[in-house]
Amino acid sequence: MSRPPERTDGGLPAFLPAIVTVAFTAGLAVILLSAAASVNGARERATKNVARMAANLWEIPGAGADAVAQLLGERATIEAVPADGGAPRTRTEPGAYGYRPGALDPSVWIAVASDPDRAPPPRPTTPLALLGILLMIAWTARRRRRPPPPRYPAATLLLAAAFLALVALLAARRAHHELEAISAAHLAHGIRAAEIAVTSGADPTRAARAAGLPWGTTAALADPARLWTMPRAVSEAIAALPPPLRTAPTSTLQAGGATYHIAQTTLPPNTAPPTQSPTAPTPAPTTLHLALLGYEETASPTVPLTAASAGSTLLVAIILSLLPLSARPRALRRTLAAWGFLAPAATLLLVFTFGPLLFSLWISLQEWHLVDPAHPFAGLDNYRNIILDTAWWSSIRNTAVFTLHVPLAMAVALALALLTQGSRRAVRWARLALFLPSITSVVAIAVVWKWLLNDGYGLVNQLLARAGIGPVPWLTSPDTALASLMLISVWMVVGYQMVVFQAGLAAIPRDWYDAARVDGAGPLQRFRHITLPGLRHTLFFVLVTSVIGSFQVFGLVYVMTEGGPLGATDVAVYHIYREAWEFLRFGNAAAMSWVLFAVVFAATWLHFRFLEGRRAHA
Amino acid sequence: MTTPPRAVSLRGVEKRFGDVAAVAAVDLDVRPGELMVLVGPSGCGKSTLLRLIAGLEEATAGEVWIGGRCVDNVAPGDRDVAMVFQSYALYPHMTVAQNLGFGLKVRGASREDIGRRVDDVAALLDLAGLLSRRPGQLSGGQRQRVALGRAMVRDPGVFLFDEPLSNLDAGLRLRTRDEIAALHRRLGTTMIFVTHDQVEALSLGDRVAVMDGGRLQQVGTPHEIYRRPANLFVAGFVGSPPINRLPLSRGADGHLAGGPFRFAGDWAFDEATLGVRPEDLGADPEPTGALPGATPADFKTTVLRVEALGSEQRVHLDGPAGAAWIARVSPALEVAAGDRLAVSVAWDRGHLFGPDGARVAAPPCPIPDLRT
Ligand SMILES: Nc1ncnc2c1ncn2[C@@H]1O[C@H](COP(=O)(O)OP(=O)(O)OP(=O)(O)O)[C@@H](O)[C@H]1O
Ligand SMILES: [Mg+2]
Repeated sequence: MSRPPERTDGGLPAFLPAIVTVAFTAGLAVILLSAAASVNGARERATKNVARMAANLWEIPGAGADAVAQLLGERATIEAVPADGGAPRTRTEPGAYGYRPGALDPSVWIAVASDPDRAPPPRPTTPLALLGILLMIAWTARRRRRPPPPRYPAATLLLAAAFLALVALLAARRAHHELEAISAAHLAHGIRAAEIAVTSGADPTRAARAAGLPWGTTAALADPARLWTMPRAVSEAIAALPPPLRTAPTSTLQAGGATYHIAQTTLPPNTAPPTQSPTAPTPAPTTLHLALLGYEETASPTVPLTAASAGSTLLVAIILSLLPLSARPRALRRTLAAWGFLAPAATLLLVFTFGPLLFSLWISLQEWHLVDPAHPFAGLDNYRNIILDTAWWSSIRNTAVFTLHVPLAMAVALALALLTQGSRRAVRWARLALFLPSITSVVAIAVVWKWLLNDGYGLVNQLLARAGIGPVPWLTSPDTALASLMLISVWMVVGYQMVVFQAGLAAIPRDWYDAARVDGAGPLQRFRHITLPGLRHTLFFVLVTSVIGSFQVFGLVYVMTEGGPLGATDVAVYHIYREAWEFLRFGNAAAMSWVLFAVVFAATWLHFRFLEGRRAHA
Repeated sequence: MTTPPRAVSLRGVEKRFGDVAAVAAVDLDVRPGELMVLVGPSGCGKSTLLRLIAGLEEATAGEVWIGGRCVDNVAPGDRDVAMVFQSYALYPHMTVAQNLGFGLKVRGASREDIGRRVDDVAALLDLAGLLSRRPGQLSGGQRQRVALGRAMVRDPGVFLFDEPLSNLDAGLRLRTRDEIAALHRRLGTTMIFVTHDQVEALSLGDRVAVMDGGRLQQVGTPHEIYRRPANLFVAGFVGSPPINRLPLSRGADGHLAGGPFRFAGDWAFDEATLGVRPEDLGADPEPTGALPGATPADFKTTVLRVEALGSEQRVHLDGPAGAAWIARVSPALEVAAGDRLAVSVAWDRGHLFGPDGARVAAPPCPIPDLRT
């Protein structure tokens, strides 16, 4: 009996090649648009900053309109506020920002147009993208004439992926070029504004900050007494610059973990910085160094462009993978339905699990500082740093020692599980009591134990004193603190482990015990030969999950000891936390997280290998 | 094999689980070297009784004696018994050799000793090639043999089997049954064998103990059990197809009557049940009873259905009192549903059960019914 062949023309299958083209085109569009968006955004922010800078200059006594004109020339217009008071405008027209200087002179607007010289140059990327789209349309047309063969068009995918990557790369390079130019112009404006502020006797730091260049700082090297707010490290670094650099009009400098842009300005003899010695004869001219913390464009297009090209490649790959199925519409429909159901969960997984994971990997390759918008690529520097960091390794060692509480907890839990089998009322209550810590907030537990273990008034030491045992420095001595935490941790996890063990025990057939009894095995032999082997999967499960959990211990340490005393309880996750949120070194912290991940992964893998080796049977 | 076979004796043994009496007042003597089969319907307490003997359960009342000593306070491992479980209960993480040797190992036997005896048993049970496998890698029949070997290796005085064949397919079950019988002949050890299959019980047992509701119903040789069932339960439980029944009650003339039959006699009861085994019915298209012992007191009836099993025919008849009877007849007889037959009864092999179910006697020959 032969069935008529399934129709391949018409319906969704026929449109698959076209959908591939649409996805490809959309990917290209997203790449180009996001590159353009990041450049436009940067330009707009820079314009806004310049407008702010100009408004700030306007307020400096003795600067005013002249200074603004000096700084911005044609770009700035100064207009009177409309008579009716007008609503405060920030944005006046596309590419221009209006700014009303603060309280001093509320009667004017300063509007700054975006730099007319820096209109977007023609993009060679766009024709390239159009070419790709044309090729794709040609491919579609060919597909529609001939039914697709039932195999995966890998070559097409490779070409499409390469094309998307190429366009993304070119777009990123162009965007970077323009961003750098914007950044340089911005920096020049900032330096200029600071100079004007200095010559007008105002605070250049404020001027720089108004320009969006954080922590602008100046120092007159000739006279260290005239130091404003320049950190000692920076002024020392400037002093240590080799002469050609020190006398260059601008240079960059690494100091204190940040990049400073140094500009040199020569004060005219008739002006003086606002120092406290009006009587002293002003040496003229003075050379002044302005050090501005480097301005870097935060909206780096790399991440969105990578995401756009990877995302559209994935999309194209998925649609292409449906092509072989298009000869069998029913299978295609089923596959589509399956993906339809999977899509929400898969998206969540991608966005909230793999996304952050990859992002932290990305951070770990950068010098990432929370308040510094600049995060230059650091390669493996962070990893090198932490490998050389003894404090990090000592926290890893503390974590490893802490993990030794797991076998102890498991032994106790197993003993309790054996003791609390059955369903007598007392046993049920005991089980409940033992399980309670597992469902209690770790912070609550930690607070209570911290109180119980207090050296002076803690209940434990008071009881020990009754028994004539001297006060034990549970949490205050480097010798005992980690051990105390381990004991508390044992107390915390024993209930949960016990319940898991009981489930495991219940799954061991009674016949095995009966057979062993008839065979003459005593209680210990039955435990050794029946219970333990019967529990081996349970034991393994508890071991692995508990070891992973103990590598991630944080709350207990955070609340009870804060890593102390003397770093005795500084465990890995707590160390990472401090690295990130106290020292604000996110790059390092992310790298540490990945090292910790590698350690945990290796430990788990070893566990599995060990078990595989001992588990040849079913 | 050196251990002499042991006698097992239960004296008023009772086991209660809360309100449930799983075993009630059982007295049973198993002679040394005997193969005793415990048979009964599901839930009648066979396993419990076996576990009481093994020491896996503690009796609520009564005593268990093995080999002439009371073992009530003796641990299972010291009772000189070995047990084969229905699930086989092989230790899954041990190899076959380790499974076989476990009982010796925990008793502290020397390594050579264990090795030698494991090899002996493995040779006997044809397990030699499987010694390094684990139970998960064996077929059902192989596991069964390992379980058997684990019991044998310790050379116990008593073997206890709890339905060891019920997980095997029909063919293998027959073969294994024969092997166990052969093993018993060869070892001469006392064996107590639990089954719910009455054919298995009759074919295997030196003697058979039939249980129901936690009580022993009858203990006897297979022949006694089959031919002289102590009560209606035993009669009904043993035998396939089941025994044919005819309820009787005392009529106005003082005789017991049921269907076309009336039994003269001085009966001490008003109600009774007549039981006739299917093979004790003779069926003949010619109404001349040809069966030995048959009397002219036959009855004529209609064939409802015929099961042709090859070696025999089971003829379902419209019974004398309405309920269907089954006759087991020669395959040579040509008969089909709807035929009329004359059925003769071998009265001397019939059974009469009183109102309490106990067997009274073989019924006398009925008074010819003048109505037929
Ligand atoms: N541990 C126990 N707790 C409570 N009741 C039990 C227990 N073990 C057995 N019983 C009850 O005792 C009775 C006899 O059980 P037993 O296992 O001896 O039956 P059996 O004759 O072996 O049945 P089967 O042929 O199904 O194995 C059953 O009613 C059962 O429910
Ligand atoms: Mg049973």
